[in-house]
Amino acid sequence: MLTGDLIKPRLRIQGANLLVEMVNEQNPALQQIARDLIALFRQHKGQTQAAWEEALHAYEGASLDYTLIRGLAKVLADAATFTPIATPLPPAILRERVFAHGPVFDNSDIFHPKTRSEVLQQIADEHGLSPAELEEMLFADRHATYRLTDAGPEWTPGDLLARYNLELARGALYWASHITIEVASNYKDLWKYIKLFKLMFWAEPMPEGGYRIDLDGPISPFVTATLRYGRQLAAFLPALLLCERWQMQAEVFPPQGQGQKLYVLDHTSMLQSHFKNSGLFDSRLEADFAAEFEEKFGGKRGHWRMSRESDVLLLGDTVMVPDFLLVDTQDESRRILIELVGYWHPGYLRRKVEKVRAANCSHLLLLVYDGLKITPEAFEGVSSEVIFFKQKPVLKEVMETVEAMAERLYGPRQKPAPAPKPTEAKEKKPRKRAAIVDITEHLKQQPAQKPGKKLRKVAESPAQYADNGEQGRASE
Amino acid sequence: MFFQGGTLVLQHADEIEEVPAPFQFVRSRWRCEAYHYAALLDWMRQQGIRNDIARWRPLKLKLHDSRELHDYQVQALAAWKEAQGRGSIVLPTGAGKTLVATHAIQHVNASTVVLVPTMSLLYQWYVVLTNAFQTEIGVYYSGEKRVQPLTVTTYHSAGDLIAEYGNTFKLFICDEVHHLPAKTWGEAALMSPAPCRLGLTATYPEEYEQTGNRWRLDELIGPIVYKQRLETLVGKQLAEYRTQRLRIDLTAGERAAYDAAYAIYTGFVRERGLRKSHGPGWLRELMRLSSKDIQARRAWLARRQLLNLLESCQGKFTALEALLREHSGERILIFTESNAVAYHIARQHLVPVISHETGVAERKHILDGFQAGSYSVIVTSKVLNEGVDVPEAKVAIVLGGGASKREYLQRLGRILRKKEPLQALLVEVIARNTVEEGKARRRHVPREQS
Repeated sequence: MLTGDLIKPRLRIQGANLLVEMVNEQNPALQQIARDLIALFRQHKGQTQAAWEEALHAYEGASLDYTLIRGLAKVLADAATFTPIATPLPPAILRERVFAHGPVFDNSDIFHPKTRSEVLQQIADEHGLSPAELEEMLFADRHATYRLTDAGPEWTPGDLLARYNLELARGALYWASHITIEVASNYKDLWKYIKLFKLMFWAEPMPEGGYRIDLDGPISPFVTATLRYGRQLAAFLPALLLCERWQMQAEVFPPQGQGQKLYVLDHTSMLQSHFKNSGLFDSRLEADFAAEFEEKFGGKRGHWRMSRESDVLLLGDTVMVPDFLLVDTQDESRRILIELVGYWHPGYLRRKVEKVRAANCSHLLLLVYDGLKITPEAFEGVSSEVIFFKQKPVLKEVMETVEAMAERLYGPRQKPAPAPKPTEAKEKKPRKRAAIVDITEHLKQQPAQKPGKKLRKVAESPAQYADNGEQGRASE
Repeated sequence: MFFQGGTLVLQHADEIEEVPAPFQFVRSRWRCEAYHYAALLDWMRQQGIRNDIARWRPLKLKLHDSRELHDYQVQALAAWKEAQGRGSIVLPTGAGKTLVATHAIQHVNASTVVLVPTMSLLYQWYVVLTNAFQTEIGVYYSGEKRVQPLTVTTYHSAGDLIAEYGNTFKLFICDEVHHLPAKTWGEAALMSPAPCRLGLTATYPEEYEQTGNRWRLDELIGPIVYKQRLETLVGKQLAEYRTQRLRIDLTAGERAAYDAAYAIYTGFVRERGLRKSHGPGWLRELMRLSSKDIQARRAWLARRQLLNLLESCQGKFTALEALLREHSGERILIFTESNAVAYHIARQHLVPVISHETGVAERKHILDGFQAGSYSVIVTSKVLNEGVDVPEAKVAIVLGGGASKREYLQRLGRILRKKEPLQALLVEVIARNTVEEGKARRRHVPREQS
């Protein structure tokens, strides 16, 4: 990421808004600068960082474009690798041996019997080096002496300018205290990055679909506009660009003063993320399941429409993004979530069960791999349905359960669709097989939960998605 | 109740429950700033709330420091203990605040974090604590991040450290505590649950200097528990010193380059009347203009070229060599303006260099060697600033002429801080007929004998 001094000259204040002066990636003059720098950088492969910086300085001359030049150079250097030269002993030890003889001069005197070159020769000999090598190694641990060993990706001038623009937008967030985003897709990646950068979020579903998410950090509510999390927010920004439709509003305190400004960005911006979108499916199992569904129940073959990871269960401290959502094409309020638990790492499993428990979600169907050494007891008290499977989930059985769940939760299918019944009113469903745990009974038996296990109500009833009757919860 | 990112969070509590004032119901949980921890202890006990906050460890520290405390240090320490280990001690520069702090750490005998404003102080504390407790000391700053039961950090990095490890420190020490009210620097104190707190400074901020922010120093650290004025200590601690100014000439080539750069630089400033239009802020204005006006840019670059030239002119290196030979065997500190020149001198004379790039262990090695006499010369670039103990340097040589007054006096003070009454010498090498002469003249230097 760029340093603040490379960002600040590009910030413009216009009334209540902060604007970032981006560069035109198609501008031939700027493309030329980018091309020159890419070439100059490549020429310095094998040379020291100091040499590269000196060459950059010379290229810059008295140009007024120095902010751009240094910014592009920073992008190049950040993506490249500089490595220290090999030394027979750590440079600090070499220094210790050499400096034990200082101060020395080019010619000797009574107090300094050895000259500089004699001292260097002597110590070089002791280590089987030439004096020139020794001199070169003396500060081999300083970054200035590191060699450019890998010049990074094959940038085109357009790529470099595009990346520079992204870094400018990120940079504006260094001075951000808080951002609000609205997104309508790709939640899974989004939450992955929110967690990665240790941000705190507060999410609520929007009536038109998608979520509004407030992002800052734990101490934010107690200090007036801390900029403590600015770096994390900046680091996070490329994750937002992975979404299809989004909007961001950042509260920023630009370094040039004038108090709080708004920095607004949305999906119409030309910015490109360099983060990778994770694949559509996390596993073969999920991909196969989706394919089989499309084949047997997709399109006109059934009344359910399947989509990927498009609903989010907001839990106290985290979120759960079930793998699939089934929506009844004739009554969109009839929704069933499906989560495939085919992974077998014990820690993952434990967290998964905790999440399911916290979700307390009756329209969630769990498909659990039988080889997981997990017993039905583990799901005791869970309001979700559970089906165990051996090799792969049996689609027919899954869909039967889905139908049964829908009928229990939403009443019999009919047109026009009836208003969904509240969860409490659901009817007891006969057990089809032992592995399917009926949670209703458990809930009745244990009406009072432990105080700490006070759970989100957000996703308990699917109807709440439709009328936005619930607010999301804070989470970290 | 648990610690999270500088806040205390109540678990299993509903919005309707009654909780004390500092808590706010934020995002579905009761939270408050961690510094309220000590004040909440009684309430937690009454309510039977499980304390998942305190993760600090009792230590078995043994103080390996035979130095006897001065009376005022004993009194200061006693006053702090009396105040339940909360509050600030105000003592003049050089009066041994660090020694008081090591005794405070020994008293609490639990994991401790020390906050300092500068890198050089971080290194100094690292050395002091390493020697005092003969145990591994952690450092946490932009360059190195190693957390130990005793850890030193900068105010700049303290927020990140405290957000993550805040609940592992029982004692929270702020050196140069007058920096704490600065906008973001205070956050670390706010985010720490440490029940024991110690502030150290020579200049406690006035009331109005404290009110710039939401928090006050007294609130975060505790009140002043002890204060001793400068006059009562002078003479005991500070040694005699004298200063000398050495003037050198530029070579003909340097002179020509200097004059050319000077003409471009001052020509522009005069032509635009910057001094008249902007008074003392004229240099800032030049810098501002230099980002959009090609003439201003040239003038700015000429100025930089001129300063580089002055710092690395031949005459200064010749003078330096002569001084090193003249003071052979004495402990000498060389101060340069830039890193480049410091490393150049280190290579030229094969003497150790301390810059901001020098890691804690090597810095300690160099300073220890200097004290023990195995190194007689150290070259440093603006690093050994602000209150760093470099014991018993006899000669300081200042090569950079661009030093501000404050910096100059600090450097001066540095070599004067001694145990023995030993006459020290400060030599400033400046180029004749250049801007350096004007700068040197503007400074007020006590007892000058040039």
